[in-house]
Amino acid sequence: MHRFGTKWVAPWLGMWLLAWSLTAPAQTATSGTVTDATPAVTASAPAAAPTEAAASDSPPAAPPALIKPGLVAQSSLNAADTAWMMTSTALVLLMTLPGIALFYGGMVRKKSVINTMASVVAIASLVSLLWFAVGYSLAFTPGSSWLGGADRLWFSGLSYLKDAGLVAVSHVAPNIPESVYAMFQLTFAIITATLVVGAFVERMRFSAMLLFIGLWSIVVYAPIAHWVWEPGGWLVQMGVLDFAGGSVVHINAGMSGLVCAYMLGARKGYGREPFEPFNLGLTMAGAGLLWVGWFGFNAGSAVASDGRAGLAMAVTHIAASAGAMAWMLGEWVMRGRPSLLGLCSGLVAGLVAITPAAGFITPGSAVIFGGVAGLACYWGATGLKRMLNADDSLDVFGVHGIGGIVGSLMTGYFANKNISGVTGSVATQALGVLAVLVYSGLMSWALLWLTKVIVGLRVDENSELTGLDVSQHREHLGT
Amino acid sequence: MLNSEKLAIAAHLHVLLRRKTGRVTDTEWMASNTEYAAEIVRFARASAQEDGHADLGEWAAKLELAMVPVPPPRPAREHLFGVIGGTTKPAPLPGASDSLFGSSESEAHRYVRGIR
Repeated sequence: MHRFGTKWVAPWLGMWLLAWSLTAPAQTATSGTVTDATPAVTASAPAAAPTEAAASDSPPAAPPALIKPGLVAQSSLNAADTAWMMTSTALVLLMTLPGIALFYGGMVRKKSVINTMASVVAIASLVSLLWFAVGYSLAFTPGSSWLGGADRLWFSGLSYLKDAGLVAVSHVAPNIPESVYAMFQLTFAIITATLVVGAFVERMRFSAMLLFIGLWSIVVYAPIAHWVWEPGGWLVQMGVLDFAGGSVVHINAGMSGLVCAYMLGARKGYGREPFEPFNLGLTMAGAGLLWVGWFGFNAGSAVASDGRAGLAMAVTHIAASAGAMAWMLGEWVMRGRPSLLGLCSGLVAGLVAITPAAGFITPGSAVIFGGVAGLACYWGATGLKRMLNADDSLDVFGVHGIGGIVGSLMTGYFANKNISGVTGSVATQALGVLAVLVYSGLMSWALLWLTKVIVGLRVDENSELTGLDVSQHREHLGT
Repeated sequence: MLNSEKLAIAAHLHVLLRRKTGRVTDTEWMASNTEYAAEIVRFARASAQEDGHADLGEWAAKLELAMVPVPPPRPAREHLFGVIGGTTKPAPLPGASDSLFGSSESEAHRYVRGIR
């Protein structure tokens, strides 16, 4: 009854989530359940010994909850969680390097493969430095409900004090070192920015791309991550559910990609000439890496090596499979044959849709997520694309935008209280989707306008015809 | 026919035309655009007749055959039996549609307004 009405549920759920996130020490913004890990101890508490002494005389009292990043005793960390999160971090980075580079590089024309891959590598490096300098602090420290604070600029305070036996942890993930959590979130910032590349390949100046993406990661990505994942963020408080980034990563990247496509205009010859993909074998290799890496993306977002992470891994795989089959069948019926690119796109569609829901739903629901997303994204990359009339070259909006929207909305309906302790609301999810679409779209437009004024967005016509590999990098692929 | 095979024919014809007539052509465009390919075929045949270059006519014919549009799809029921496992129908030719409802798009439009 309450699923479709936010009038009462959303404020109540928001307040409840806020109180819950501030009082339960081992909760995360994305998980919503109490983990089995040892509770954290704040650095301001007078060391561990007095606490243990007090505990022996009376029933154990809950240690004070962290409300911001701080130092805790090293013994309070959970080794299994830490190991899993380090593994997940590597898996998510593998999705970008080389996953996205191969996935996108195989789909562009031969003359711009190197530019596409170079863009991915450059973005990974640039966003890493910006995340270290500014992004992490703005996204994952308490500040206002709109933006985080400045406590962690330049990763300051991410301490490991061996002699004192203390280590910094985030209030969002108190069982693992903050350095690990910051790195895990860094890989999300990287892949989100690289996803946008697919919308503007084969025509954007490399310098413009660097300027735009650099600004975008700070002005667009970090605030949205704060809204959705930091316990004080306004969308968290509204009750928006996003386990691993359906809105923060996929809707955000999809919308920015669509704006990029409009602002840059179509490639020369678009709609008149066939743009042959360079090598769909590379695209398949990239899709495979994405599939495997997504286990770190979704199961890692449990921020624990527990049962919920295991379930997230299972639903992720099931949704990917269902997405691939749904797209394949849709393409087979509509176009006469199943394509490799369709299978790869379908599995990505399923993965995208399950991302916001991975820690909230049952394996049975995952089949529905994958099936619906496979068909919806097939439409997004074909029918909707024609309606939008934008050269969103590699269908960033059609796959990631539509998949993210479908997954986020379905999370509101399918979220299972027995798994996560929370119930969802379709209307609240829709509010979150709308907020991200509007903010991401408007700010991307503003940043592209600024970039256009400073360096210009497009390469000249000759450079585009020659190909960006030669015109931007003086490199070309071998025969 | 595979794109690589079309491209190989176009490349061969490109070299022949350059050597024998001096005309410079766009190989990739020849292998992908049916109108351009038709014009090259016409030009190659004309040159073959005027100057007696028999091999030009031969390769023009190969390109023409390679650029022939895919034949129309078979009826839906026929495809249905083929997909589900009927044994009365031979396996589809390489490159032929295997749709439940028949192909709805011309192959000439592949990759023109999007990659998917």
